[in-house]
Amino acid sequence: MSSLKLSGVRKSYGHVEVIKGVDLEIKSKEFVVFVGPSGCGKSTLLRMIAGLEHISAGDLEIGGTRMNDVDPSKRGIAMVFQSYALYPHMTVRENMGFALRFAGVAKDQIARQVQDAARILALEPLLDRLPKELSGGQRQRVAIGRAIVRNPEVFLFDEPLSNLDAELRVHMRIEIARLHKELQTTVIYVTHDQVEAMTLADTIVVLRDGVIEQVGRPLDLYDNPANQFVAGFIGSPKMNFLAASIVEKSAGSVTVALRNHSGVQFTVPASGGAVGEDVTLGVRAEHFGEPGAGAADIRLNVDVAEHLGSTSYVYANAGGESLIIEREESRNEMGQEHITVSISPERAFLFDSKGQRIR
Amino acid sequence: MAYARLDRREQLTGWAFIAPALVLLGLFMIYPIIWSLWMSFQVGKGMNLSFGGFANIERLTKDPVFLRALGNTFIFFIIQVPIMITLALLFAVALNDSTLRFRGLFRTAIFLPCVTSLIAYSTIFKSMFATDGVVNQALMALHIIGSPIGWFTDPFWAKVIVILAITWRWTGYNMIFYLAALQNVDRSIYEAARIDGVPAWARFTHITIPMLKPVILFTTVISTIGTLQLFDEVYNFTAGSGGPSDSTLTLSLYIYNLTFKFMPSFGYSATVSWVIVVLVGILSFLQFLVARDRRRT
Repeated sequence: MSSLKLSGVRKSYGHVEVIKGVDLEIKSKEFVVFVGPSGCGKSTLLRMIAGLEHISAGDLEIGGTRMNDVDPSKRGIAMVFQSYALYPHMTVRENMGFALRFAGVAKDQIARQVQDAARILALEPLLDRLPKELSGGQRQRVAIGRAIVRNPEVFLFDEPLSNLDAELRVHMRIEIARLHKELQTTVIYVTHDQVEAMTLADTIVVLRDGVIEQVGRPLDLYDNPANQFVAGFIGSPKMNFLAASIVEKSAGSVTVALRNHSGVQFTVPASGGAVGEDVTLGVRAEHFGEPGAGAADIRLNVDVAEHLGSTSYVYANAGGESLIIEREESRNEMGQEHITVSISPERAFLFDSKGQRIR
Repeated sequence: MAYARLDRREQLTGWAFIAPALVLLGLFMIYPIIWSLWMSFQVGKGMNLSFGGFANIERLTKDPVFLRALGNTFIFFIIQVPIMITLALLFAVALNDSTLRFRGLFRTAIFLPCVTSLIAYSTIFKSMFATDGVVNQALMALHIIGSPIGWFTDPFWAKVIVILAITWRWTGYNMIFYLAALQNVDRSIYEAARIDGVPAWARFTHITIPMLKPVILFTTVISTIGTLQLFDEVYNFTAGSGGPSDSTLTLSLYIYNLTFKFMPSFGYSATVSWVIVVLVGILSFLQFLVARDRRRT
């Protein structure tokens, strides 16, 4: 099992730089998830680690060895693709054993390793089928099996669950988590789905525009986002952002006025900001309180309410600003046109005009 | 299979719609095919025909010119089709490489021959390979040969030129099918193979070729049919003679000569035509047999 180290890694296509200097250390046996919106460079970064894309600048080390110019097959990695990338004319057994044939492994040894991987993934009854005879979930298991057979130091997953339906996605997510526990290998997993990131990762790496925005444990990112981008990206439903401006500043706190709620202002502990500065107040859907329970109340027009049984999500707006509010019990609120909720400053975040967190 | 039963009126309307096409097809295709089968049992010269049973088939077995034409056609088929298919595959794989510069130019250049005029290219080939043509001059200038080769007077070289010409003309055509198929292949399959440590040659033999198998089969069958019907090039190069001394005579050219050049022998030429049909049938069947999936589908 190997650790990984990226130092000053960059990638450009012609004049366009897509990875703009990434420094990252991944510990052995760690499950790391690269997450970010599409086009943020997460897949490119993974493909650079795999050796499918050339590294324009910087160093990649796997297990302490510089791997920049090492052939993909000699990096001790295995990769699972979004499209599964199974060889369509080969059976499951042949797909899984194909790499070993070229690694000079003896036939009976190949058979044994394929059998072992098939057992781990419950693929034994499917070994003689062709990929086209399998369901999406089964194909993905074969793709994972093909990776396992090679006994890699590092597993790379490139959006492996994106082609599956919602139910199967949850199932395979659990399967992958179980597998990581069982195999104890280093895993790098790319996804744009922050739920996958939150549930699978030991460490989440949030990327935007080829730059790492924040690295941390899932709940650390949730509780302590470094900036407005991470705050908005991590967590479902998304964090609500309310436009505000600073009207007064004292040591360790500022008083903000909400732009779309005239007369609503309250004091928030803050480490920066200047009077008159436009700021953004971030409040998670579940952190709105009952009226009167916080520092200030806001009144909103209800657009839609989704009642899921145990919780409800109320989609509301005020002055063109849409908010999502999570309510625990809402049966007696059905059909309401307005809703009043309170904001507690100690549970809210404050971001300056550049998106940096000041609380 | 479930299909709704159409009522009578709808059925009639349907038939009415396809009737014009059906009549034309019947008149100009199905009727002549059946008639030619009937004709193949007729003997006699010109319009003076009479039923001869299997006389024509018997004549085939004793006709040295027919046997010669059959042999030539087979030589063209056995040598030319594999060379062309292999070349087309290699070109397609090379021109599918996204890092290759001027790909479009190369693709066009290789495809262009099959849309050029047959007469124009035959004439150019003829002049290039004339005794005082550019090929002989170039070879002599390079001191590869001492005296000019009579390309069209030597039985061996005449065959080579025919093979060269049809390969030049049709390789690009087949390449387009492979390119189309290759562009449908998920790129990550090759990436997976690279990570799996599969060497480049094995990616070609173990991944590309098996995945292109249906297209390879299709192009092989089409090329087989084309080669068995080979006529134009030979006719143009040899002024219709199939010379020198019948060394480039093909079945189709022989049929033409039997019908329009010699004393017309319609019955016998119909029999030779049916030989081509039977050969195409047998060869296509064999090719399907070879390419059959070794597993149930």
